[in-house]
Amino acid sequence: MFDKVLIANRGEIALRVIRTCRELGLRTVAVHSEIDTDALHTRLADEAICIGPADPTRSYLHIPAIIAAAEITGADAVHPGYGFLSENPEFAETCAQCSLEFIGPLPEQMRRWGDKVSARALAKSLDLPTIEGTELVEDVDDAVRKAEALGFPVLLKASGGGGGRGMHILESKEELRAIFETARSESRAAFGNDALYFEKFIERPRHIEFQILGDKHGNIHVLGERECSIQRRHQKILEEAPSVALSDEMRNDMSATIQRAMGEAGYISAGTLEFLLDERGELTFLEMNPRIQVEHPVTELVMGVDLIAEQIRIADGQPLGLPERPLSARGHAIECRINAEDPDTFAPSPGTITELHMAGGTGVRVDSGVYGGGRVPPNYDPLIAKLIVHAPTRTQAIAKMRRALSETLIGGIRTNIPLHQRILAHPAFAEGRFSTRFLDELQA
Amino acid sequence: MKLDLDQLRDLIRLLDESNLTEIEVEHDDDRIRVRRDPAPLAAASQPVAPGAVAGSTHPSDAPASEEGEGSYVTSPFVGTFYRAPSPETDAFVEVGDSIAPGQVLCIVEAMKLMNEIESELAGTIVDVLVENGKPVEYGDRLFRIETT
Repeated sequence: MFDKVLIANRGEIALRVIRTCRELGLRTVAVHSEIDTDALHTRLADEAICIGPADPTRSYLHIPAIIAAAEITGADAVHPGYGFLSENPEFAETCAQCSLEFIGPLPEQMRRWGDKVSARALAKSLDLPTIEGTELVEDVDDAVRKAEALGFPVLLKASGGGGGRGMHILESKEELRAIFETARSESRAAFGNDALYFEKFIERPRHIEFQILGDKHGNIHVLGERECSIQRRHQKILEEAPSVALSDEMRNDMSATIQRAMGEAGYISAGTLEFLLDERGELTFLEMNPRIQVEHPVTELVMGVDLIAEQIRIADGQPLGLPERPLSARGHAIECRINAEDPDTFAPSPGTITELHMAGGTGVRVDSGVYGGGRVPPNYDPLIAKLIVHAPTRTQAIAKMRRALSETLIGGIRTNIPLHQRILAHPAFAEGRFSTRFLDELQA
Repeated sequence: MKLDLDQLRDLIRLLDESNLTEIEVEHDDDRIRVRRDPAPLAAASQPVAPGAVAGSTHPSDAPASEEGEGSYVTSPFVGTFYRAPSPETDAFVEVGDSIAPGQVLCIVEAMKLMNEIESELAGTIVDVLVENGKPVEYGDRLFRIETT
């Protein structure tokens, strides 16, 4: 087993990794930008190295600085967290060249699953039910041909896009002709890549994703699903496990399909397969995220597994420490992402946290990257903490989350806690009747 | 022209808010000039080994500070600090040496890449703040310089 892990990230996920490392007896190295000198991850790691200025392209995304930090501290493994370099195959390759164990999938797996069009083709070849879509389009005439063949309405997507950015819902070829060049230049500007393609548009889907773990001995475990339909502009803000929309039969069938497919693909480490569930109850594969995800704690709570510890064991070459038969969910878990933003306008709200009291009590977990008196810099993601609850039933979990949110006090900045309270108090949410449109309709 | 402190403050503010490096005001026989250094003080660097995996460096806004007495040359990288090009050779600079802009002061090694750190200042080395072969972080002070 390696003995010193460098965490190439910041905020709550850096802390999340530091905590598991400490429990496993591994030493930790935090890297931080100048503006994060007093951040919690910097303070709680065994060692901390300043790797650059606040601009992430020169610190958290700057591969040479991170590798140099590993070299001067003698770290022998790197955990990338999520975001930043977590899905960058060059980073994983550079780690390998520098004799650092990258705690994640192999670079070629990141490449294969990272590109959405090739990921869909790969999923299809593995016999996963896959959303209907097209190859990359060449020009506007080709786009019209491909969209008509697929059938309107369609979703125009940027191949390099992510986090819901660069998507357009199109009802007709006139709409498509009107927007095509704009969409292409938007994509070029935002992702440095103007490749576009279409997917079948599903009006009111639910977003359901399955957590997997694969080890270096060919074992794949599917750890159930998460329901992530509560989104704003395709950004998840509240997740739960399990999903009320899946029957045991659907869950077991899809788990078996995924286990076989990802076994054939030889996938290693933690990963998530995202699906859309349409109104007829069909699950179709959308994309695969080759990394740990923000919402992983809901799976951890209902499955009784430490996913970060499993990632570390897998990287170390150990077989999965899970029972042979599939685990089944125990109780219900909900996560609320607490963002430093205005709950109505969603404008970012960085600043100094003047007072902080996080919720506690039975069944409440807090994964946070902040402290009272600490600063939320404007340079990074607005996610400052995750409040996660676990209860025997969904109804009890909702009540527990509402109680936990009401105890949470974050002064000096605005947060989206009032928005979470509105969601949890909504009858349609309580009844489990919602789609990815829920929040847009709530706001309207 | 009789210049009071408030007017001087206004001039400095004007300079700060503009892209100018110099403002000169002339009235009768009085003349006042407010001027700043063309660029923020910084250590320049040049990777000397080709290839490898280093990304671009941005010497112009590497941190340099002017607190206390003298100015400091700070490290633009995380890495290992070397005072000489090889263990057998003399240090690039010693305390008391006069230095000129562009002169190599030390090496910071990152990912097997030897990055020569050049001075952007003219002056005298007053202090070497890091021991040879020790790790340095981004922004760590390496040398104290008395500028001329």
